[in-house]
Amino acid sequence: MEVQKEAQRIMTLSVWKMYHSRMQRGGLRLHRSLQLSLVMRSARELYLSAKVEAQEPEVPLPPARSPDPYLHPPREAEAAAEAAPSDGEQPSPEPMDTQEAPRAEETPARCAQRPAKVSRKRRSCSLSDGGDAALVPSKKARLEEEEEEERASSDVLDRLQPPPAQAEGAFPNLARVLQRRFSGLLNCSPAAPPTATPACEAKPACRPPDNMLNVLVRAVVAF
Amino acid sequence: MFLKFSLRSVFYGAGGGNDIQWCFSQVKGAVDDDVAEDIISTVEFNHSGELLATGDKGGRVVIFQQEQENKIQSHSRGEYNVYSTFQSHEPEFDYLKSLEIEEKINKIRWLPQKNAAQFLLSTNDKTIKLWKISERDKRPEGYNLKEEDGRYRDPTTVTTLRVPVFRPMDLMVEASPRRIFANAHTYHINSISINSDYETYLSADDLRINLWHLEITDRSFNIVDIKPANMEELTEVITAAEFHPNSCNTFVYSSSKGTIRLCDMRASALCDRHSKLFEEPEDPSNRSFFSEIISSISDVKFSHSGRYMMTRDYLSVKIWDLNMENRPVETYQVHEYLRSKLCSLYENDCIFDKFECCWNGSDSVVMTGSYNNFFRMFDRNTKRDITLEASRENNKPRTVLKPRKVCASGKRKKDEISVDSLDFNKKILHTAWHPKENIIAVATTNNLYIFQDKVN
Repeated sequence: MEVQKEAQRIMTLSVWKMYHSRMQRGGLRLHRSLQLSLVMRSARELYLSAKVEAQEPEVPLPPARSPDPYLHPPREAEAAAEAAPSDGEQPSPEPMDTQEAPRAEETPARCAQRPAKVSRKRRSCSLSDGGDAALVPSKKARLEEEEEEERASSDVLDRLQPPPAQAEGAFPNLARVLQRRFSGLLNCSPAAPPTATPACEAKPACRPPDNMLNVLVRAVVAF
Repeated sequence: MFLKFSLRSVFYGAGGGNDIQWCFSQVKGAVDDDVAEDIISTVEFNHSGELLATGDKGGRVVIFQQEQENKIQSHSRGEYNVYSTFQSHEPEFDYLKSLEIEEKINKIRWLPQKNAAQFLLSTNDKTIKLWKISERDKRPEGYNLKEEDGRYRDPTTVTTLRVPVFRPMDLMVEASPRRIFANAHTYHINSISINSDYETYLSADDLRINLWHLEITDRSFNIVDIKPANMEELTEVITAAEFHPNSCNTFVYSSSKGTIRLCDMRASALCDRHSKLFEEPEDPSNRSFFSEIISSISDVKFSHSGRYMMTRDYLSVKIWDLNMENRPVETYQVHEYLRSKLCSLYENDCIFDKFECCWNGSDSVVMTGSYNNFFRMFDRNTKRDITLEASRENNKPRTVLKPRKVCASGKRKKDEISVDSLDFNKKILHTAWHPKENIIAVATTNNLYIFQDKVN
């Protein structure tokens, strides 16, 4: 718990430092930004591993379900949607565990869902289009799934970061942007679906490992 | 005692860090530390050691010159007095990116002297300038058409003609920018280094290294480019670069991951593939949350001989033999007691401080700075080290500096200072060692201290 709190504190501090570095004379320093994002990544890994350790004795998850959700995407797609309202605990250990795992089996559908949710701001890429072709379902159905995911992600998010209200004071927009990306990262896999790749060059969901770092570098680069 | 004395006089200028006693000589700068523009950002002796240049955050360069007369006196070497002051860089604005370009001088490098004038390169984040510093101690007098004060004479009053003659005048030192090397760096310049051919030099920013010719300002060659195709895959940046002191085809650059790459410009035009990679495997017992960022190398310096190079990371100084890539030959801990304080140092941003390091003239001692205005010297031969403090308290000339000691934990002995009492706002990032003598220049935030060894 202490470790988790400390990691959370470091993450918040790093975000603040990143924001503050924008204000510096001379502009954003690439080296400094890189170092801050490295610390943030380490803090996140520490936080997540501490979380797993804390949860392991409490929640004996069925092996079929929890450890490799990204290797069994179709089942997971429903499972997550179903599980989210009932067991909000589940999604959180997964991203960390499978962070390094190969994600070649990732389907376009699964991938399309998440970026559509994550990429409100910058990712106007056609991933949604490409992925949607597979999904198609009606907009209504997609919305429902999105809502499930939203609930799941917000559960996890609350545990992961101080609630928005706390972060509002100094830099509300940045905090919200990073929260969205955080939630996206937790729920999505970084694999690049073959069909969707050509359509879009920059997608936060379909990244090699270290997507946290990449997103933060992206955030940094954007600034 | 007698033996020590005679050793000192025999090995003048080559003494170890602990065999010699360091004395206060001078301090330059204001007594109060409030002015941000006066923060010293670089210190460099020229090749003879007669001139000492400093650059500051306000874009100014101040050059000190050693007085020659006092060399005759046995009790001390010449003092350094202000020789020239000029504004090297001004703040600029990049309109495309809406960014201000700081005027802070990041590095100064001297060119070897070829004629009466002195030349140096100074750089800020984006632009490098070649400055000529020349003396004028006579001026022409006796113009036919001009009065002595410059006013033009009425030509009709001129009845005789004369040839103007040079007459002595008060020494005037002029600095003029001879070349401006601009618009070649997208990222912030961290290093410049003059080639041993004295015709070319390199400039390095976070992702690229460019090669320039001193005479040509409108183009430069890119010799290293580590920018990834997708910036989100960025994992390391270039932190320092230097040409080999003797081989004009060889240079090294250090990275934020703690590696050093040696490149040979004869191998290919773009030196993206290194000839040698110097990297020490990480000690797993030292692995911590902040391991990655404290392994970033902040400075790399070749020894004068060219056989070794020294790197400085946050907690240590490492000496590498160019013939051995897998580990350094020597490692010196600068302030290991800070390893347990990394979290606090991250909070107060001190963990990002970029310390420099330097060799003495004979490559037997290395020096680097620390906090609380402490600086450290490591004698490579005797393996002894010493910690000294740059403080106005030891203000009298020829006062011998007392070695300082930091108590890491446990009972603090008398005269020791505990880690928690260290002042992290007082940091020594820049130091320089005279190329031939035991004279060192140590920069605190906005004061420059000059120390010499005790000469009897």
